[in-house]
Amino acid sequence: MSKSLVVYFPGQTFFHKLDPRTKIIFMVLVSTVIFAVQDLYLSAFILAVMVILWMVARLPVAIVYGFLKALLPVFAFLFIVQALLYPGVTPIIKPLIPSFIPWIGGMGQINLEGILFAVLLMFRLLAMVILLPLVSMTTPVHILALGMVRMGLPYRLAYTITAALNMVPILQSEIGVIVDAQKLRAMSTFEKGSIWSKVKSYPVLVTPLVIGAMRRAQSMAVAMDSRAFGAMKTRTYIEDINLRPVDWIFMIASTIGTVGILILATKI
Amino acid sequence: MTDMAIQLKQVSYRYARTKRFVIDNLDFSVKRGEFLAVMGENGAGKSTLCQIIIGIIPNSLGGRLKGNVIVEGLDTKEATISELATKVGIVLDDPETQLFTTSVQAEVAFGPENLNMPVDEIRERIKWVLDVVKLTGYEARMPTALSGGQKQRLAIAAALAMRPSILVLDEATSQVDPLGVVEVLSVVKELNQKYGMTIVMTTDQSEEVAKLADRIIVLDRGKLVAEGTPREIFSDTALFSRLMIRAPQVSQLGMKLQQLGHPFPTFPVSLEEGYKGIVELVDTKPSPEDSVKEDKPVETTTPQNGTVISVKDLNYVYQPQEVKAVKNVSFDIHKGEFVAIIGQNGSGKTTVLKNLLGLLKPTTGNVVVAGMDINSTAVAELAQHVGFVLQNPDQQLFAETVEDEIAFGPRNLLLDEATIKQRVEESLQLVGLENQRQEFPPALSKGERAKVVIASALALNPEVIVLDEPTTGQDYKGCHQIMQIARKLHEDGRTIVFVTHHMALVAEYARRVIVMCDGEILVDDTTEGVFAKPELVRQAHIIPPQITELCQMLPLNIGLPRTPLSVSQVVDSIMARL
Repeated sequence: MSKSLVVYFPGQTFFHKLDPRTKIIFMVLVSTVIFAVQDLYLSAFILAVMVILWMVARLPVAIVYGFLKALLPVFAFLFIVQALLYPGVTPIIKPLIPSFIPWIGGMGQINLEGILFAVLLMFRLLAMVILLPLVSMTTPVHILALGMVRMGLPYRLAYTITAALNMVPILQSEIGVIVDAQKLRAMSTFEKGSIWSKVKSYPVLVTPLVIGAMRRAQSMAVAMDSRAFGAMKTRTYIEDINLRPVDWIFMIASTIGTVGILILATKI
Repeated sequence: MTDMAIQLKQVSYRYARTKRFVIDNLDFSVKRGEFLAVMGENGAGKSTLCQIIIGIIPNSLGGRLKGNVIVEGLDTKEATISELATKVGIVLDDPETQLFTTSVQAEVAFGPENLNMPVDEIRERIKWVLDVVKLTGYEARMPTALSGGQKQRLAIAAALAMRPSILVLDEATSQVDPLGVVEVLSVVKELNQKYGMTIVMTTDQSEEVAKLADRIIVLDRGKLVAEGTPREIFSDTALFSRLMIRAPQVSQLGMKLQQLGHPFPTFPVSLEEGYKGIVELVDTKPSPEDSVKEDKPVETTTPQNGTVISVKDLNYVYQPQEVKAVKNVSFDIHKGEFVAIIGQNGSGKTTVLKNLLGLLKPTTGNVVVAGMDINSTAVAELAQHVGFVLQNPDQQLFAETVEDEIAFGPRNLLLDEATIKQRVEESLQLVGLENQRQEFPPALSKGERAKVVIASALALNPEVIVLDEPTTGQDYKGCHQIMQIARKLHEDGRTIVFVTHHMALVAEYARRVIVMCDGEILVDDTTEGVFAKPELVRQAHIIPPQITELCQMLPLNIGLPRTPLSVSQVVDSIMARL
C-alpha cells in the first residue's frame, strides 16, 4: 500500500467540481507566476494561496508534510549554498575566511540576503511541487484527458499524458518492492548509507524497473487493443464537462490575480 | 455462415526475431457456445494462442503468422481492430495491466467510447454488464480499491461491454485468491450457459475445468498433443506421464487405482463420481481395526527445538489510510518447522511476513527473530537469519548473470571472494541451476527465475526461509519444483514458512498451518487439524483439497482417513481395504 501522490483523491469540494479546463488554465497561470516572481513576499503569498486551495480541496495535509520532508535535503543544500555564496551586505555571521587573504578572502560569510534568497527558492519550489497534485488529485484522469481533448489536443496525446500520470503510483510501489528486495539481500545503503552510496545503488534499481515496465507495456497493449483503443477517428465520452459560471469566475479571478502579481513584481 | 466461432487452419507463428515457431501447425475449431479449456506447461504457447485468436497477432504484435484464423467469419489478418474487438474480448492474468481508469463505470465505458458509440447505449451496456458480473452499485468505486476477484470481474465486464460473442480468458484466475477464483468462474459459467457465449480459457484449475469445459486441448511446445472431453483427457495416463499438467485429484486417484488393477466403474472427473466410485469399489461394511485408526495423529508436529521467530501481540496499521491490516497476532515458529500461512488476499499474511524482516515495523507488539528485536536490527542483519523471498521474481533480479545475482547478497556482506564463491556454488546446487550460471536472469523461464531468487536468499545462509506466494503464476511443474526445493531445505534442517493459495500444496508439504482472516489468526494447527475443520476454514473462504473434501463426504464406516493430505495416502488406504 503506497501513498500515491498523483492519484485521484475522491471528494465533493468546490475545487474537485471545477471543470478540468479551468484547472489546466489555472495550472498554466500559476506556473508562469512562480517562474516569473522573484520577490519573497509575493512568493510567500502564492504558496499561501496554494496551501489554502489544498485545504479547500480537503486533500490530506500529510502529503504536503511528505513533500517537505522529501525536499528537506534539497532545501538544506540550497540553504547552505545560497547563504554562503549569495553576495550580500548584511552579515549575520563573520566570514570564515579572513578578508585579508586574496581571492577567497571574505568567503563563508553568511549574509541576511543569502538566507532570504534561499527561503525564496524554497517557497517557489514547494509551490511548484504542490501544484501538480493539487490538480491531478482532484480530477479523475479520464476527465483530465477529456479536458485536454476539448482544449484541442488529439485524444491519443491526451491519453498518453494521463497514462503517464497513471504510471507514477505503479512505478512508486514497484520501486518500493525492489528496494525491499535489495534490503533483503543485505544491501544496507537504503537504511544507513551515505548519499553517495545511495546514488550509486540506483542503477541496480533500473534493471528490474525497466524489464517490469516492458513486460507490463506488452500486456497493456493487448488489453487496450482488445478494447479498440484509437480504432476510430472520434470517440464518445459518457461523462460530459461543462464550464459553469463558477469556472468563469475562478478563471477570471486567477487571471486578474496573475496579472496583478506580475505588475507588482515588476514594480518592486 | 458456419456454426464455428473460431477456426484455425494450419496456423503457425513465430516472433519477429526468433526462429522457433511458438505455435506449430495448429488446426482446430471451436463451436459457437462451446467452452474450450486450453492446458499445457508454461511456454507451451497458450498465451500466444490467445493473442492469435483475438487478432492482436499479427495485427499489432507483428511476427510471422502462417495459415488462417477465422473468428466469427472474419479472417483476423484482414479485419480491423474495431471489428475484432466487437467479436472477441480478452481477460488477462494481471488486473493492473488491464484496468486503466479511475472508476468502475469509466473502465467499462472505455471500450464502447473508443467505438464512438452513442452515450445512451453505453449507459445501458454498463448497467447490463455490471449486473452480469455482480458489480452493480460499484459504479463510482476506484478499480484499485477492489479485491482481486472484483478486479477480474471488472475486467470481464470491460470486455463484455464490447458485446463480443467470444470471451478469451488467459490465466484469468492465476493471480486471485480462492474466493476470487470462485467468483470469476461462476461469472464465466453463467456467460457460457445462460448467454451462450463461446469461452476459450487457459488455466491450471483442472477441478473447475472438469466441471465447466466441453472440451480440452493440450498444447506442448506449440503443438496440439491431445484433444477431448475432460473425461477423455484426464483419464489419458500416457499424456499425464509425459507432461506436467494437473489433473483433478479424483482423476489422479482414478488413474492410480487403474494402474494398480482396480479401475473405477466410470472414470471419475468430479467429486460426485469419485464418491460413487469409492463406495462401489470399497466394501462399506465396517472393519473394526480400520475405523478405529481413523484420525490417528500422524505425529504431534515437529520436534520443538527452540523458537526462531516469536511474534507477540502484533498490530500493524497502514498510514495514512489507517487500515488495520494485522490485529493482535501472536505465534511462535520453532526450529525445523514447515509452516503454511493461508487466507484471502488482504487477510494480512504479507503484512505479517514483512514485519518479520523489519520491512515494516510493528505499530504495537513485539517481533523477535533469532533472538533479535526487529525494531532495533537492520534488515541486512535479519536477512542472514531469515531469507525472505518476495512474490514476484522479476522485481528481485538485478544482475547480469545468475552467478552474479546469487553473489549479490554475500558481496553486500563484504565476504571474501573464496567464501562468496563457495556460497554461490552451494546455492546453485540446492536449486539445481548449475548449468544456467552464465545466463541473464530475466531471460530464464518463470520457474527458473523463481529458483534464482530462492538461491539468492540462500546465499546469505539463513536458517529460516520465508516464501511469499512462491507458486503464484507458476505452472504445475514450476509449483512442484519450487516446493521440492523447499522440502529439501527442510530436510537439511532449515525452517520453512510459506504463503500460498494452492491448498493441494499446503496439504502435501506443510506440517502446520496458520489460517488468517481479516488480520487475525483464525486457526493455528497441524495441517490435518486445520483441514479436519472444514466449516471453520470456510469462514476464511478456503476450500480444502478435493481429495480431502471427497473423504469427508464418505460414510464414516468406510474406514478411509477423514482428512487425507495426498492422493497417494487415499490410494494406500483403499488398497489396504480391498
